[in-house]
Amino acid sequence: MSVAIEPEPAPLPRAAGLALAALAPAAIGGILASHFEAIPPVAVTPAIVLGVIAATSPALYIALAATGEAPRVPAVARAIAVALAAFGIALCGFVLPATFLALTSITDATPIAMATIALGGAALLGMRRLARELALSSLSAWLVFAVWSIATLGIAGRLWWDLTRELLP
Amino acid sequence: MIGEEHTALETIDLLLRDRTRMLLALRGDRDVMPVLRTMVATIAICMAIVGAALGTYRGGAQIGYAAIKLPLVLLGTAALSAPALTAIGLALGRRARFAHDLALVLSALAFGALLLAACTPLILLGRSIDLDYHRMILATVGMFAIAGIAALRMIAVGLAGEHAVGWRAAFTGLCIVFVVVGGQLSWALRPYLARPRAQDVPFVREVEGSLFDSVTQAFDSARGIYTRGEAPLPSRSAP
Repeated sequence: MSVAIEPEPAPLPRAAGLALAALAPAAIGGILASHFEAIPPVAVTPAIVLGVIAATSPALYIALAATGEAPRVPAVARAIAVALAAFGIALCGFVLPATFLALTSITDATPIAMATIALGGAALLGMRRLARELALSSLSAWLVFAVWSIATLGIAGRLWWDLTRELLP
Repeated sequence: MIGEEHTALETIDLLLRDRTRMLLALRGDRDVMPVLRTMVATIAICMAIVGAALGTYRGGAQIGYAAIKLPLVLLGTAALSAPALTAIGLALGRRARFAHDLALVLSALAFGALLLAACTPLILLGRSIDLDYHRMILATVGMFAIAGIAALRMIAVGLAGEHAVGWRAAFTGLCIVFVVVGGQLSWALRPYLARPRAQDVPFVREVEGSLFDSVTQAFDSARGIYTRGEAPLPSRSAP
């Protein structure tokens, strides 16, 4: 059993955490929407975050179970919910600076760069929190988690890249 | 403890003489509102003095302009950056204490502002010996760098003392946000140090893009990609 016996308290109640994980990316999408005068990023950004996590998290459970580090499904679900809440909270902290930096810019690259850095930074913090929640102990479990993280960030990054490319004139 | 036993001046004295005790007091569960008020006032007054000193290089209205803008830069940067510290910490399992985080950030910035205020004789010396504009800029950058490093060190010591989960990540995140936001805010509100021969000095320059736009443009120029026909001649460029 690899799940921590006494996990740290979740940063927020589960529903509030998940709501924040959707609202904070929508706010980041709003930065792009206001700059490029296009609504899609407001909806697409949270869709990318939640969609990619929903699509890839079963794989994490299966792979961890296959390595013998087999946390129960509710424990993995709780860990992912906590990590999503952590992602949302961290992103909330970046929204204000990113908005300021994007609003004081006149080029198209800067708002995209700021939004990307904010999302990427929050994603890394969320991944770190997920690793802590899963209390990975063996090398193989860490390897599985690293591969899963790279794949998840890669897929989300590609979708984000496609979104921003469509916004650029 | 701070805010209950100390007056504003005693709190500032504590900040200068015994930052370990100051940080210990900020770590507790006491009301930090008196500290916040004192630190905001300290930053506002010290940076106004520093701004006015920088403004004397050009003189006239620039003294007042810089005295107004520099406090805004520091307080604005604190307001935009402190939430990131709390958010990153909370995301990683640290206790959420926004008021205490803000007090820590403002105390560190107040310390930096006090150090800069202590440097004003050097700024005035530079003016009195008619130090070359570019040397004056370099000297100013050096003073701000020393004050900034001292302020960040105080934040690092304050966070490390908490022994909380993820304090290093929270500090790193704060540093990144702080440098980026502070750089952009100071860029947006420039000039602070204007040449003595400058005819007219605006309160703030027209929007010419962000600091990052400028950096991007410099990279493009280095690669031979130019977005304007020619570089402005000295006679046509802004002073």
